[in-house]
Amino acid sequence: MRINPNPMPDLLAALNQTELEAQQATLEISSGKSVNEPSDNPTAAALLVENNDEATFNSGYLQDLATINGQLSLANSTLSSVGNALQQAISLGVEAGDGTLSDSDRAAIAQQLQGIQTQIISLANTAYQGNYLFAGTATNAAPYVASSTDPSGVTYNGNEGVNKVSVGNSYQLEVNQPGSQLFSASGDSVFLALNNLIQAVQSNTGVGTAVTSLSAATNYLSAQQVFYGNSMSQVESETTYLNAAKLQIAQQQNTLGAVDMAAAASNLSQAQTDTQAALEAISKFSQDSLFNYLT
Amino acid sequence: MSGLFGSLSIALSGLSVSQQELETSSNNVANANTTGYSRETAVTEPGDPVVIGALSLGTGVLLDKIESLRDPILEIQLNQETQQNSSLNAQLEQLQQMQTQFGSSSSGIGADISNFFNSLMQLSPDPSNLALRQSVLTAAGNLATDFNNAANSLETQSSNLNLSVVEDVSQVNSLTSQLASIDQQISRLENANEDAGTLVDQQTNLVRQLSGLVDVQVIQTGKGGIELTTSNGTALVSEGQSFALSTATGTGGAQQVMAGTQNITSSLAGGSLGGTIQIRDQEIPSIGSSLDQLAAGLATALNNANAQGYDLETPPVKGGNIFAAPPVGGVGAAAAMTVTMTDPSLIAASSDGTPGSNGNLANLSAVASEAVANGQTPIDSYSNLVFQVGSTTSNTSADVDASAQILQQLQDERGSVSGVSLDEEAANMVQYQTAYQASARVITTINSLLADAVNLGVETAVQ
Repeated sequence: MRINPNPMPDLLAALNQTELEAQQATLEISSGKSVNEPSDNPTAAALLVENNDEATFNSGYLQDLATINGQLSLANSTLSSVGNALQQAISLGVEAGDGTLSDSDRAAIAQQLQGIQTQIISLANTAYQGNYLFAGTATNAAPYVASSTDPSGVTYNGNEGVNKVSVGNSYQLEVNQPGSQLFSASGDSVFLALNNLIQAVQSNTGVGTAVTSLSAATNYLSAQQVFYGNSMSQVESETTYLNAAKLQIAQQQNTLGAVDMAAAASNLSQAQTDTQAALEAISKFSQDSLFNYLT
Repeated sequence: MSGLFGSLSIALSGLSVSQQELETSSNNVANANTTGYSRETAVTEPGDPVVIGALSLGTGVLLDKIESLRDPILEIQLNQETQQNSSLNAQLEQLQQMQTQFGSSSSGIGADISNFFNSLMQLSPDPSNLALRQSVLTAAGNLATDFNNAANSLETQSSNLNLSVVEDVSQVNSLTSQLASIDQQISRLENANEDAGTLVDQQTNLVRQLSGLVDVQVIQTGKGGIELTTSNGTALVSEGQSFALSTATGTGGAQQVMAGTQNITSSLAGGSLGGTIQIRDQEIPSIGSSLDQLAAGLATALNNANAQGYDLETPPVKGGNIFAAPPVGGVGAAAAMTVTMTDPSLIAASSDGTPGSNGNLANLSAVASEAVANGQTPIDSYSNLVFQVGSTTSNTSADVDASAQILQQLQDERGSVSGVSLDEEAANMVQYQTAYQASARVITTINSLLADAVNLGVETAVQ
């Protein structure tokens, strides 16, 4: 069979192909990515979009957890301080219940108790980054205001609102407890019990009973504090989990889109060799025909 | 008996045929690199013999014709593959351009969607924080801007393709009118039983160029003439006359290809014109509509979610729109997407009006897992779009490679039939030269014999 006398287009097409391969390998090596355009691997490109979404959510959850953790630990340590102050008040109450005390001694104790009351009000009005921690969701105003008319000595301006924050896929954490559940819970209000104790000490009647109620209210409060302890440990374990997931997501991203350097480098050198060969072939294919031999 | 003068005329015919054969070779060599040229060969035959009694005497050689060597079936296959290849190439070029805006997973619409929901998440533990609220609006703005950019770049691509359509149509017209005039020339020649030779080469070449533009079908009319139609039967060239296509501006500025008053746009499949129309009328609208649905779905769902909560104003009021309400039906939603909310305190994070409530942020965040477009969540819908663009491009690229291989194979075959081989021509020339020299020698001999005859043996050359 007669052959095609002009192989040049074929040779050029081969050269074009090898140069294209070299270009692709160079792009992969320089970008470090095997998927530089969706067509490089449509499935991986689509999965990389999902992967980036997961990574973004993961880092969002982690950031939220850090914020929440600050909030929770401040609330927790505040409640501990409140607990300490209450223990002090209980001791003072027990002391005041001793029948041998003079009126002036009791008056001094009552004054000390009023000081503790002021301290607890101030602790219950603790704010984190400008938001009152124990106001429910009415975080823009101090939840407790001293009141001479209210039997508990304070009025609560907060609400019952509890916020939930997402810290994982369909995993929400409650991040606050309103003051109405902590300090002025009906039946176990530390403010009411404390105010009653102050009045009992001042009037020297029913001090023992008042101390008992304050103890009960204090126990209730410390039971509520467990919420914060629990939340903080959940934050910690979720943080550990998300950090592990973060590695996994990064690994998946690598698997999907990172270039296999060894393979890319070998492709590049193969393509370069092929290019050399094609160039060689083209240069050899000169117009060397029978005409050159005729004299 | 013809005598010496008869021999002289025989030798003369040899000289002249050898000369014409050399001329043919020379023409082949000259056209060795001419696109579409088919090598020619001189076909010779012995002259009619003179019969005298029992003797049949030769009368030299005649040049029968100069024949072009070509395989018509191969040419048809080449036309078809050229149509396919040009169409695919035109599509691939556009698809590669289109896919660049879907190329990155860490920027663009996909990342914008993720970042927007992340900004809502950051707001959740501190819902009254104005800086965090502002970053939600900023993220929304980035999302809208990237939707706008994507839609605009599709639009730009589309309008560039309209220019291509107009250009291609004018090229088609120029080629068909050239073909018509060649057809007239050929029919004159072939009627006179002549070989149209290089005219047919020109014709083939023009048809090949036309195949690069449009899906053209060739019908041989028998006398070397051709009739050209598009694959749906619209006449382009018939009986030496060309029928020009025209363009008309259709809806949305899309240039329509018209044959007279008939719109043949959607029936054009091959060539760069077919490929261009395929991308402009199928691929771009399909991607554009996916973008529109996603933009409209997201904007509507987020506006609805915001309307369920309360903003940070005093007194708090029900949330208003974050994004401009998308056009009804969603058409053009991606291009029109804008954030109308300018005051970050208008984000309705609160479910009850208290500033510290984040209850409604959960509703806004939930949009991330709602089916907002084509029954898919925002990120799934976008990721699906990326896959669609990527796989269309990669499939087209594979088709281009395959078609290029076939085309190359066919061109090799054509070369083996019609290509000029310099070796062959050189060998032929040696042969023709030798034959010419031999004929010349015969003439010299006859000359000398004639001198003998005229001068009766005295060796004097006739001058």
